[in-house]
Amino acid sequence: MKIEKEPISGQYGKFKIDGIDYRIYWEEAGQGIPLVCLHTAGSDGRQYRALLNDKKILEKFRVIVFDMPWHGKSSPPENAKVGNYKLSTDFYISQIMSFINGLELVKPVVMGCSIGGRIILHLAINFPDKFRALIGLQSAGHLDPYYDISWLHRQDVHGGEVCGGIAYGLMAPTSPKSDKFETMWHYMQGGPGIFKGDLFFYKFDGNIGNEIKKIDNSKCPIYLLTGEYDYSATPEETKSLADTIGIEMIKMKNVGHFPMSENPKEFLKYLHPVLNKIS
Amino acid sequence: MFKSLIDDNEKRSQLSIMAQYLNTSFMISTIENEYLVNIEKGVVKNVEEGPFVMPSYVFKLTAPKNEWIKFLQHIPEPGSHDIIAMLRRKVLKFEGDLHPLMSHLLYFKLLLASLRPAESKNEN
Repeated sequence: MKIEKEPISGQYGKFKIDGIDYRIYWEEAGQGIPLVCLHTAGSDGRQYRALLNDKKILEKFRVIVFDMPWHGKSSPPENAKVGNYKLSTDFYISQIMSFINGLELVKPVVMGCSIGGRIILHLAINFPDKFRALIGLQSAGHLDPYYDISWLHRQDVHGGEVCGGIAYGLMAPTSPKSDKFETMWHYMQGGPGIFKGDLFFYKFDGNIGNEIKKIDNSKCPIYLLTGEYDYSATPEETKSLADTIGIEMIKMKNVGHFPMSENPKEFLKYLHPVLNKIS
Repeated sequence: MFKSLIDDNEKRSQLSIMAQYLNTSFMISTIENEYLVNIEKGVVKNVEEGPFVMPSYVFKLTAPKNEWIKFLQHIPEPGSHDIIAMLRRKVLKFEGDLHPLMSHLLYFKLLLASLRPAESKNEN
């Protein structure tokens, strides 16, 4: 039987992050400018499956996607315990920089969605000279809690069911059924308390106030793209962020919080021109 | 408005597998009207329209009628497409013991969405 092979290769490696060893899994495809992609809270790198298969992008970019520690196929650290995972801004920055340094990537482009769309703002503030460009998907400077996230990790509620239910609603009703299901499925497969632990960064520790004004787009170009159906990081919030930075934002029709995963075909229409500018 | 939750519907019958251990009663309020929905083993067994004198239920979802109408569109607008989106806009209120709702969140979302008119081929 002939199978259709994808151009993606996966690998494991040991990275030291804040002095602790982590076994990290990543996938990559293509060649050229390194493009490191950051997945959303409580999910993993499979969200970028379409990018890793997009011939046009792979001609010019080496697309690299790692699973954060505790997510996907990356391991928790030694002596980990269920319930003590909490993503801080510092740890998130450390893991990204360790990954980039570990792979000896020079001036990569970093693109992140949701929590990834937030952390690229921190990267822009702290290390503008380290990146060729930064792309924020569903970026907002801060988010006030609008539902009780303790429901995401309770022993009397199945974590996969509730996390999947939360993720489902963040997608556009017009996104293709199979891609929506796969996006939700990734959430259903997350470990106990991991989505909630990531949201500590998204809703508390990683909130940025006036520091946004420190972002200098001339030092490192920033691109912000947000799906119209996202009610977590709304287009209005991204617009306000873009206005502060002094750039235009791109509002994407017919997609929600997970553009690259819930409706890749629609998303790539918006991403290709951005990557053309960067290359 | 919500009476037809009781009607035979292929989508709803497929949903019961997601809530086969769920037995509960919940109230949907449009401010003007109230609907008491009884669920047994994931199947809607009864929907009673108010007014009620002493209704007994586990949790309640309250939104103005116009917001429910927006939610029930064939393809709802952003912000009206999901009950958590409505919660975020502060037009929907969750009250009571939310355990049955949150432990079967996707089930309830799909149950309510099943009231939308014929859906697009892409829609869940």
